[in-house]
Amino acid sequence: MATPQLDAPQTSSAPPASLVDRAVTLAENLLNLIAATSILLLMLLAVAQVVGRNLFNAPVPGFIDITEQAMAVFAFLGVAFCQRLGGHIRMELVLGTLKGRVLWLAEVFGVLIILIVVSALIYGSYFHFERAWEFGDSTIDISIPTWPSKVLVPFALSILWLRLALQMVAYCKLVLDPSRPIGDLPHTQNAAEHAAAEIEDAFLQTDMHLHSAQPEPHQSAAQQKQEA
Amino acid sequence: MTSFDIGLLMTGLLLVLVVLGVRVAFAAAFTGLVGMTAIFAMRMGFERGAFTAIKMAGTIPHSKSVTYALSVLPTFILIGYLAYYAGLTKQLFDASKKWLGWLPGGMAIGTVFATAGFAAVSGASTATSAVFARVAIPEMLEQGYSKRLAAAVVAAGGTLASLIPPSAILVIYAILVEESVGKLLMAGFLPGVVSVLIYVGIIMFMAKWQGGAPSIGGFSWAERFKSVPGTLPIIGVILIIFSSLYYGFATPTEAGSLGAFVVLITAFAKGMRLKQLFQALHETAKLTVMIFTLIWGVLVYVRFLGYAGLPEAFKGFITSLDYPPMMIIVMILLAYAVLGMFMDAIGMLVLTLPVVFPAIMALNGGLDVSAVDSVLGMSGAACAIWFGIIVVKMAELCLITPPIGLNCFVVSGVSPDIPVQDVFRGCTPFFVADVLTVAVLVAFPAIITWLPSLI
Amino acid sequence: WNVSLWGKRRAFTEHVEKLAEEVAARTNGDFEIKLHYGGALSKSRENLDGISLGAFEIAQFCASYHPDKNPSLSVTELPFLGVPDLETQVKVDKALYAHPAVQKDLARWNAMPLMSSPMPQYNFLGKGDAPQTVADFEGMRVRALGGIGSAMKTVGAVPTSVTAAEAFQALDSGTVQAIAFAPHAHLAFKTIEAGSWWTTNLNPGTVNCPVVVNKDAYDLLPDAHKKALMDSVDPAIDHYLATYAAVYDKFYPELEAQGVKQISYSDEELAAFKEKAGKPLWDAWIVEMDGKGIPAKELLELVQSTMAK
Ligand code: NA
Ligand code: NA
Repeated sequence: MATPQLDAPQTSSAPPASLVDRAVTLAENLLNLIAATSILLLMLLAVAQVVGRNLFNAPVPGFIDITEQAMAVFAFLGVAFCQRLGGHIRMELVLGTLKGRVLWLAEVFGVLIILIVVSALIYGSYFHFERAWEFGDSTIDISIPTWPSKVLVPFALSILWLRLALQMVAYCKLVLDPSRPIGDLPHTQNAAEHAAAEIEDAFLQTDMHLHSAQPEPHQSAAQQKQEA
Repeated sequence: MTSFDIGLLMTGLLLVLVVLGVRVAFAAAFTGLVGMTAIFAMRMGFERGAFTAIKMAGTIPHSKSVTYALSVLPTFILIGYLAYYAGLTKQLFDASKKWLGWLPGGMAIGTVFATAGFAAVSGASTATSAVFARVAIPEMLEQGYSKRLAAAVVAAGGTLASLIPPSAILVIYAILVEESVGKLLMAGFLPGVVSVLIYVGIIMFMAKWQGGAPSIGGFSWAERFKSVPGTLPIIGVILIIFSSLYYGFATPTEAGSLGAFVVLITAFAKGMRLKQLFQALHETAKLTVMIFTLIWGVLVYVRFLGYAGLPEAFKGFITSLDYPPMMIIVMILLAYAVLGMFMDAIGMLVLTLPVVFPAIMALNGGLDVSAVDSVLGMSGAACAIWFGIIVVKMAELCLITPPIGLNCFVVSGVSPDIPVQDVFRGCTPFFVADVLTVAVLVAFPAIITWLPSLI
Repeated sequence: WNVSLWGKRRAFTEHVEKLAEEVAARTNGDFEIKLHYGGALSKSRENLDGISLGAFEIAQFCASYHPDKNPSLSVTELPFLGVPDLETQVKVDKALYAHPAVQKDLARWNAMPLMSSPMPQYNFLGKGDAPQTVADFEGMRVRALGGIGSAMKTVGAVPTSVTAAEAFQALDSGTVQAIAFAPHAHLAFKTIEAGSWWTTNLNPGTVNCPVVVNKDAYDLLPDAHKKALMDSVDPAIDHYLATYAAVYDKFYPELEAQGVKQISYSDEELAAFKEKAGKPLWDAWIVEMDGKGIPAKELLELVQSTMAK
């Protein structure tokens, strides 16, 4: 379970993020904020729908059509944000036993697979949007055009692509020089570290996602223990 | 090479990628894409085949995510994040303690009821354990409870959140197997209650025979009744979600939104600030996008499976086995228990169900089989619901088993002087309780299928 | 060839089953048509996309699922066309699918129409006080999508969003007071069990659900297979009509068995309803379609003249 290999580089400070990295990070934060806001709005719209329908005989016209099209906002916009924070689940059984260069090679491999499939999906989902845009497509009930929601897929995946490219470069550098600081790259967590991250999420007590450029999960796990 | 061979090969590849630690959603999408390319290439040559596969795969993220039934997910997730701010944890624990403390092991029993109550506003097991570790464990330790019991009851109680609605994992199951979301949610309720009762039984037994779990009394009726109003928002949410599922005056999405709205108002009343609301929303958005990505990623792979005919073949294989169907199902459940030790519950379900579920249904006699003609004595629809609850219960069981039982690590993480080994050891009786619960649910499927049959 | 279908095997898909059977028989099994149910190859609303990509060779879809993907087909979904029965609907669809405007419309998706899945008029199954006159629909929450929803709005009904899967519960709980489906869907979604009245002749419209073929794949077929495919259409449709008749045979007894009251409106009332929801909506449709370059008037006249034959 132990992953001591991370301890050494973790404590030294990471180099300042590149301009591209900061721009992508900013875009990710903004998009996730939009996704978050859309969830709040969906909730309010649904409350309006129930209240309107049951008390005033005035349901929101085309509520299902609206909800479905709006879902693309929270289903996709945060996808790169989630990748940056290592939020897409994976199995760390084997990864957790690897150290140093081999570990970083495995991370390179993992990101490469995602890069390949995401590149293909950007292309494919763009055509899905293009068909809706050129031939026309609208929803079943109140005929909302579907292209605005379809275009969100290639758009969000493109931001993810940028994030993956940045991670690819960073992991490659780590392969060449495993003593480099790992910065805010997602890395394997043992169960205790994973738990620490879950605890932070449960209490919403860190807003590192929005501000700090270099969250340090190991330290925050330790801080967690001291705090509690 | 036939489509079926490609299906097997790609499934092997997917397994390898997942074990190597490629993020599950993308590993599945990658394999599905490669597999579809291979199948189309056989028919129309490589280049056209690849483009057709890529364009086909490109339709899936949007078409599969933009589905009304899935819109319930963020509302359920949001309720859970806001519930902590609404101060519901403390209130629930306080009320349960005052009402149930006099029982043998009363504080632990109170904790089980409080976690069950919190489960009615939260769909996340680990988060439930985390918040109660902070509220309940220090008090239990103060009253002379053993560390192991105090920690274990919180770890185990947390697992109730996935059974008792709202539950994100039940929604995901319902969508994957194309069953009614409302029915799955209703189905989780009684098994949750059975789990609670079995936990209570085990606690009382341990309190009597092992000690380390004193009862605490001395609360007056006035004090008890005073503790009730604090839990009203929870009761409100339970009423909203249940009555809307039961009477159907609101869809699950609408019910989840109403519930979230009630908790939101309560949280604001308790002093939650706008900044905290947005933190909760950010977390909700992150978890939501993770789940959606997982769903469409795996559905790219499932689309490929449809072309390869693999689910049909697995169905044929399973039904041709010369063992009693119930034994095969138990073997499958055991396989889930092992898999769950190493994998996240949602990831595990999403990856395996497309192949396993049709096989289970075939074992019972088909999707449309009537209860009378079925092998297991359940209609096709009832069997789908039954299997979902059992599988989710199995997946939850893995949260309290070594080596990576997350709830135990979370409890230990929140409680500085309780080592995780102690939490695991303390969980042994609860593990036994859970196995007992699964056995009861297998023996008496009506506990699962009765409530949903009413709607 | 692969066929993309959604849902289970049902009366609505029996002509495709029959088509596969006939084609296999006519080609001694050389030409295999494999049916994939449950949206395994594509979601219903994306079937045209799948056809355009060549991901499968045959697909069924309903024009109303995505009006803008197939504007020319929406003519048969106009309210009060007065198609008397499914046999006539088959004739109308055949004439319509042969029209260059429709062929051009579908050719954008690399699709060519093969045969129709004729659907009877939708009608309302409702719970509570039965609307004795068309005016009684005022303020009533109804599940009616697209064109039928627009038609109902003209008499003051309130179209309310409910998914088909939730229709039973929505009706039972009063979320909506009436639901418009074709009879087979009322049977499938069990709305009959929740409802207490049925409109026999309101006929606010229906949907058009063609079965289409990928053009490139068709062009690549050997002539014998092309012929086998085309010759199989008529037997397939005959089989469909026979199966659908059997559904009808079940529908009315089921209404009786569930104690559902059957309501018929007088000719004057229907005329008044048609006055409001017929011509004005047709005219609005013609204007809208003309804007899209569809010869709307011509299509409407084609439908009417074919029906008169
Ligand atoms: Na729950
Ligand atoms: Na686990």
